[in-house]
Amino acid sequence: MASDQELSDFLKSTEKKAFKRAFYHVRDEEAALDIVQDSMIKLCTNYANKPLSEIPLLFQRILSNTVLDWFRRRKTRNALFSNPNDFDREQNQENVDLTEAFGNEADLPSIQSAEHWLGRMQTLEQIEKAVMDLPLRQREAFLLRYWEELDVAETAAVMGCSEGSVKTHCSRAILALNKSLSDQGLKP
Amino acid sequence: MKLPFDPTTDANLWAQALTKHLDAASQNMGHDIRERLRVARLNALATRPEPVKLLNYRTALQTSGSSQTGQDEGLNLWRFLVSALPVVGLVLGLVLVQVIQQEWVESDLASIDSALLLDDLPPDAYTDPGFLQFLKVQLVQPSRHD
Repeated sequence: MASDQELSDFLKSTEKKAFKRAFYHVRDEEAALDIVQDSMIKLCTNYANKPLSEIPLLFQRILSNTVLDWFRRRKTRNALFSNPNDFDREQNQENVDLTEAFGNEADLPSIQSAEHWLGRMQTLEQIEKAVMDLPLRQREAFLLRYWEELDVAETAAVMGCSEGSVKTHCSRAILALNKSLSDQGLKP
Repeated sequence: MKLPFDPTTDANLWAQALTKHLDAASQNMGHDIRERLRVARLNALATRPEPVKLLNYRTALQTSGSSQTGQDEGLNLWRFLVSALPVVGLVLGLVLVQVIQQEWVESDLASIDSALLLDDLPPDAYTDPGFLQFLKVQLVQPSRHD
C-alpha cells in the first residue's frame, strides 16, 4: 500500500501532465483544474489502499473517466440551457484560422533571443492546437500511448477498448497531426 | 514503463519527438496554475480515509523502531496494559470456576460419606456377597407373592 509520502510524490510528478491532458480535451483551464482535482480526490478516497505500482494506471483511468463525465455533464447542460447566441459564438470559436503565417524553425536564428523564444512558444502553441483539434478518442489514445508512455495493452485498459482500436486511433492521430503540422510548415 | 519502441518505425519516432514538445509545454505553466495544482493535491491527500492513515502510522511506528520518544514509550506501555486486561480477566474467571466446581464435588462426596456412616446398615455390608444375595432374594420374593 502506498504511503502518504509516496502518494504525494506520485501526484506531484504527474499533476502537470494530467492538467495538460485534461486541458487538451476540454480547452478550459478552470474545467481542467477541476477535473484534475476530482481525479486526485477519487484516487485518494477510493484507491489509496492499492499498491504503488497500480496507482499510475489507476490514475490515468480515473482521469479519462472524469474527462468523459465532464463532457457528459456539459452535453446535458447544453441540452437543457441552450441559447442560439451561445451556439453562434461556439461556432465562431471553432472556425478560428489555424493557418497563420509561421516560419520553419530552421529559419530562426540559433541564438537564444526574444524572437527565438517567441517562435518556440508559437511552435508549442501550434502543436498543442493540433493535438486539441484531434477527435477525442484519437487524442486520448495518442496522449496515453506516446505522452504517458503506456504500452498498447495498458492504453486499451485505460480507454476500455481493444488493442486493435488503440493502434487504429494512434495511427490516425499521427497521420492527422502530421498533416496538420505539415500544412503549417512545422516539423516536430 | 518505457515504450518498446521499434527504432525503425518512423511514426513512433515522429510521435515521440512531438511529445517532447508537449513535455516542454507542460513545464511552461503559470505560477497560479502550479499553485492551484499544489493546493488540489493537498486537498486530495487530506481526503484519504482515516483507517489508511492509521495503518500507515502503525507501519511507520513499526519501521521507525527505536526513534520513539519517552512519552510515546509510556503511552505504548499503558496501551499494552489496557489491552492485557481482558486476558487477565478471562484467566481469573477460569480459576474461579475451577475452584467452585472443586468445592461442589467435595461437598457431594462428603454428603454421601455422611449418609453412609449415619445409616443403620454398616458400610462393610455393601461389600459382603451374602448381603447382596439377601437383597436380591428380598427383591424377588415380593414379586412372587404378587
